[in-house]
Amino acid sequence: MNRIPAPRPIRGFVALREGSRPLGVVSAVVGGLALAVVLGGTTSVLAEYGIRREDRIAAALQSRELFTLLVFGSLLGAGATALGFGTYRRMPTRVSREEAIAGAVLGLQAAIGGLALLWFIQGDMERFARNFLSFEQIVPQYEAFLNGARNTLVLAGAGEFFGVILGLVLSVFTISKRAVVRAPVRVYINLFRGTPLLLQLSLIYFGLALGLGVNMSAYTAAILAFSLNTGAYSAEVFRAGIQSIERGQMEAARGLGLGYMQSMRYVIVPQAVRRVIPPLMNEFVILIKDTSLIAFLGLSYAQRDLFTVGSQGYSQFFNATFYVASGLGYLVVTLPLIRLVTWVEKRLRSGLLGAVA
Amino acid sequence: MSREANALGWPAGPVPAGAPLIRLEAIHKWFGNLHVLKGIDLDLASGHVLVVIGTSGSGKSTLLRCIDMLEEPTSGHVWFKGRDITDVRVNLNEVRTHMGIVFQAFNLFPHKTALGNITLALEKVLHMPRDQARERARAELEHVGLGQKALSHPGQLSGGEQQRVAIARALAMRPDLILFDEVTSALDPKLVAEVLAVMQRLASEGTTMVVVTHEMGFAREVGTHLVFMDEGVIVEQGEPKAVFDNPQHEQTRRFLSSVL
Repeated sequence: MNRIPAPRPIRGFVALREGSRPLGVVSAVVGGLALAVVLGGTTSVLAEYGIRREDRIAAALQSRELFTLLVFGSLLGAGATALGFGTYRRMPTRVSREEAIAGAVLGLQAAIGGLALLWFIQGDMERFARNFLSFEQIVPQYEAFLNGARNTLVLAGAGEFFGVILGLVLSVFTISKRAVVRAPVRVYINLFRGTPLLLQLSLIYFGLALGLGVNMSAYTAAILAFSLNTGAYSAEVFRAGIQSIERGQMEAARGLGLGYMQSMRYVIVPQAVRRVIPPLMNEFVILIKDTSLIAFLGLSYAQRDLFTVGSQGYSQFFNATFYVASGLGYLVVTLPLIRLVTWVEKRLRSGLLGAVA
Repeated sequence: MSREANALGWPAGPVPAGAPLIRLEAIHKWFGNLHVLKGIDLDLASGHVLVVIGTSGSGKSTLLRCIDMLEEPTSGHVWFKGRDITDVRVNLNEVRTHMGIVFQAFNLFPHKTALGNITLALEKVLHMPRDQARERARAELEHVGLGQKALSHPGQLSGGEQQRVAIARALAMRPDLILFDEVTSALDPKLVAEVLAVMQRLASEGTTMVVVTHEMGFAREVGTHLVFMDEGVIVEQGEPKAVFDNPQHEQTRRFLSSVL
C-alpha cells in the first residue's frame, strides 16, 4: 500500500521561498519590536532627559541616543515589512498568514514613524520646544484653563439642552402630513443648516444686541445661537429616529384609541429617543468644539472659553504652547464622550437599553 | 368638553334594536391605481364570530382595517352601533375604544412591560386610576395564561406569548368587538395552537370577533359566519361548515382544494 510521505520540515532559505509557520511569527515579532523601539525609545529618551523644561526636551530630541534608536527602529521596521509582505501569500496556515501581515504592517508603521521623526529632529529643536512645549509657562495659568473648560462645557451643555428640546418639538412638525405645518419648520431648519454658525452667532449678537438694542451679553447671545442651531440639526436627527420606528407601533397605539399626539408621546417618541442618543451625543461633541467660535464676539475675562484662553495666552506670550494646552483640554473632555458614545451604541445594539424589539 | 356635550358624541346605551353591530355598505378602497376592495357589503351582529378567508392579496386585511378606519375607505360607509363612522365629524379615537385590533406582527410596545402595554390605554384613554388599571391588566394576563409574565418586556417573550399579550391588551379595553388580522401567520406551528386556543375560548364566551385567517380548521370550528374573498369582492358567504362542505362557486372550490 502506498503511503503519502510526511512533508519534510522546511528550513533555512527554502523557508523564505516556500513560506513557513515560524517565519510568520518572526515577521510579527520583528515588526512589533521595531514599533516598540521607535515609540518606546522616543518616550524613554524623553523621560530620561526630563520633560519639565523645554531645553531638556530639545536636548533629548537632538541626542545621539534618540538618533541611533530611530535609525535602528526604522531599519528593523523596513526588514519586517519586506519579510512579511514577501512571504505572507505562501504561508501554510491562516494564522501564520495573519502574523506575517501584522508584522509587515507594524514594521511599516515603525519605518514611517521613525523616518518622519528622523526628518523632524533635523530642524531647530530649541525653537520647537520653546514655542510648543514650554509647559512651565502654562502651569501658572492653569486656573484660567480650568475656567475656560468650565465655560466651554456650560456653553455647549446649555446649547445642547435647549437645542434638543427645540429639535424634538420641531421634528414632530416635520413629519406632519400637512404641508402648511411642515413648510415653516423646513424653512427654519434649512436656514440654520445652510449658513455658517459663525454667521448666526454674529447676526444674533451684533444684529440683535447692537442693531436692535436688545441688551444681551455675548455669553447669552452665544447660548441662544447654539440652541437655535442645535435645534435645527437635532430636529433632523429626531425626525430620522421617529421615522425609523415601525409603522405598526403607531397603528397599535391608534387602534387602542390613543390620539395622534398621545401615540407620539407615549409610544413613538420614547422609542425614537433611545435610538437617537448616539447621534445626539455626536452632535454634542461637535458643539463642544464649535463653542470656540464665541471668541469672535469678544469676551470678558471670566467668560473666556477654552479656545479663547489659549488664543489670548498666545497673543500675550507669543507662545504656541497655549494652543497645544487648549487642544489637550478639548481632548480631555471629548475623548471620554466619544468612548461613551461607542459604549452606548453597543448597548443599544445588544438591546439592553430596550430600544430594540 | 364632555362626551355628552358633543353633538356627534358616541350614543350611550345598547345598539338600537335590530341594527347590526357593524354594517359595511358598498366599501371601495383604492391604493393609487390598485382597486383593492370592489364594493363590499356585510353585516355583523353582536356575539358572532365572522371568519374571512381568501388568497393573499384578496383584500381581506384591508377590509378588516377599514372596519376600525386604520384604512379609510375611498368610498362607502362603515356603520358601527348605528352610526356612520366614515363621517369626518366622528371622533375615531372614541370609536376605537370600543373596538380592539390584534395584528399579525403583534406590535407590542417594546419599551414597556407586558403589564405596561395593557395599562397604557387604560390610563391614558379610559382615564382609569393606576391601581385599577394594573389590576385589570393582571386579570387579563391571567385570562390568556400569562399571569407570571406581567413584568417581562416583549423582547423576552416568545411569539405566541407576545400575541397573547396583544390579545389581552385589546381585551382589557372591554371592546364591543375585536378584529384579528392574520394573528397566527407570523408564528411557529408549535405556537399557533396556544393563540388559537385563547381565541377559541373568547368565542365561546360570546366575544364578537372578525377573524382574518389562514387557519381553516379554526374557521370551520369556531366561526359562526364565513366569508370567502377573492380579488376584492365577497365571492361566497354562509355558515362555515356549509361553505366548506358544499361550496357553491368555482373560485371557492379551487381555493378550498388548494388549502385543505
